[in-house]
Amino acid sequence: MADRGGERGGERGGERGGFGRGFGRGGRGDRGGRRGGRRGGRQQEEEKWVPVTKLGRLVREGKIHKIEEIYLHSLPVKEHQIIELLVPGLKDEVMKITPVQKQTRAGQRTRFKAFVVVGDCDGHVGLGVKCAKEVATAIRGAIILAKLSVVPVRRGYWGNKIGQPHTVPCKVTGKCGSVTVRMVPAPRGSGIVAARVPKKVLQFAGIEDVFTSSRGSTKTLGNFVKATFDCLMKTYGFLTPEFWDETRYVKTPFQEFTDLLAKPTKGLVIEAPVETVEA
Amino acid sequence: MAAAGGGGAPRALSQKEQDIQMMLAADVHLGTKNCDFQMERYVFKRRTDGIYIINLGKTWEKLQLAARVIVAIENPQDIIVQSARPYGQRAVLKFAQYTGAHAIAGRHTPGTFTNQLQTSFSEPRLLILTDPRTDHQPIKESALGNIPTIAFCDTDSPMRYVDIGIPANNKGRNSIGCLFWLLARMVLQMRGTILPGHKWEVMVDLFFYRDPEEAKEQEEEAAAAPDFAAVTDYQAADQWGGDQWTSDVAAQPVAVGGTGAEWGAAAAPVSAADGWDPVGAPVPVDAAVAPSVVAPTGWDPATQPPAQGWE
Repeated sequence: MADRGGERGGERGGERGGFGRGFGRGGRGDRGGRRGGRRGGRQQEEEKWVPVTKLGRLVREGKIHKIEEIYLHSLPVKEHQIIELLVPGLKDEVMKITPVQKQTRAGQRTRFKAFVVVGDCDGHVGLGVKCAKEVATAIRGAIILAKLSVVPVRRGYWGNKIGQPHTVPCKVTGKCGSVTVRMVPAPRGSGIVAARVPKKVLQFAGIEDVFTSSRGSTKTLGNFVKATFDCLMKTYGFLTPEFWDETRYVKTPFQEFTDLLAKPTKGLVIEAPVETVEA
Repeated sequence: MAAAGGGGAPRALSQKEQDIQMMLAADVHLGTKNCDFQMERYVFKRRTDGIYIINLGKTWEKLQLAARVIVAIENPQDIIVQSARPYGQRAVLKFAQYTGAHAIAGRHTPGTFTNQLQTSFSEPRLLILTDPRTDHQPIKESALGNIPTIAFCDTDSPMRYVDIGIPANNKGRNSIGCLFWLLARMVLQMRGTILPGHKWEVMVDLFFYRDPEEAKEQEEEAAAAPDFAAVTDYQAADQWGGDQWTSDVAAQPVAVGGTGAEWGAAAAPVSAADGWDPVGAPVPVDAAVAPSVVAPTGWDPATQPPAQGWE
């Protein structure tokens, strides 16, 4: 694999050289993405995280232990550090970087659109799309957005509930644009029978065996990847007999920890010593 | 149905009936000429001139329901009361003052509930609005943030994303003030701060909207009132028989009389009944009494002295 730094440098050089010359550079950043080793240097930033939202504060204090508690109450997640803390084994992969252009009177204005898939290979996936003027910024932004969009994936059995769930619980289909992706439960050992793009997403989701079928313009990677993501989201939206029981309601974390949240965040402000007025 | 129990009923009115009487006086029951299909259940009837009449019994029930929800929030600071309309702004501020909530009067900056980077970002647990139509932006945002919404809905108000709709007239200034006053009182009663049977010493009028000119006028009169009190004592002690003083005393109340509400409503036609004889013993006037009626005759010289004497 090419050295990461070299790769990035090479791309930047290529970008600058290609600016104004038009659409000459495709195929860069195909799928040989960068694995998330970069996180090694980020430890310090995580410690310095100052949460802005109520949910962020609760997660920081350690009051919320599993991400499932957030899913239960459909709470919007606005800070990616929440996900990082709750789902520790997240790996990310850049699916594609496409240059997109806008016409201005001084030539074309190019930006880079990055598609990033994030997941622990055990039931959580996220997809992020970000467009920015530089490749690195786009990738970073896309990783953050991917983490914010992490959803749970329901896995089930093909037949004979032996061992751990390994496939989709039922036939589900997702659609984005013209692309529809259909996932069908498969027996153990079939592996992921899918095209390269959805295969990656399904691997990140932790699905071991599945048959897929797709339709539409799957060439558009953006739509293809979003369609599989949509499909995976629907696995938990499907009402099966296990969910027929009456819901037992649980207090939302905002209600449970209302005393903790009521405390002010800024802490005491030490006032400057008041100057006495000289007579 | 409605509150027929007022009038000449020999027994005392229950709290609920008194409230409904107050609501009738404030025109809470008058809707608009259109009716949203989800508000049909709260409408009593359509009048001949096209206006829908709201069933105040149901309004009272929904107010109780809303009060219960408000009381269930442990930290009152997490409740946001909002009004973009000027008629509701004073009511909203007073409500927040008495219940401990947070008030937003005037424009709602889009993104207050959703944009975590904004300085005014807040995540309330409950939202109370005066009108779903004018306050549609907070409704949209609260839908994104899992925030339950209570709103005063008129007969033509859209009910989308409103969780508890209180059927009421949200167009009139007295109506909005009355509703917030009732809601505040119910909340305080449920919390135990006020005892249920007793009257709340805070007046409804405190929640009504005042025009800026009207507010200025009232303040001027209030400033002049202490002088008024000094004069009457003086007068009672010394019988000044002079037209001048009695006329001053009488003419001043004319101006002050407009603020019957602020003076504790002892609009006493007592003095008028006695008749303010230009000559003769000036009736000792209590400082609090502001006779709104003054005998018009024989006061021509009287109209001038106040202009000179009081400025």
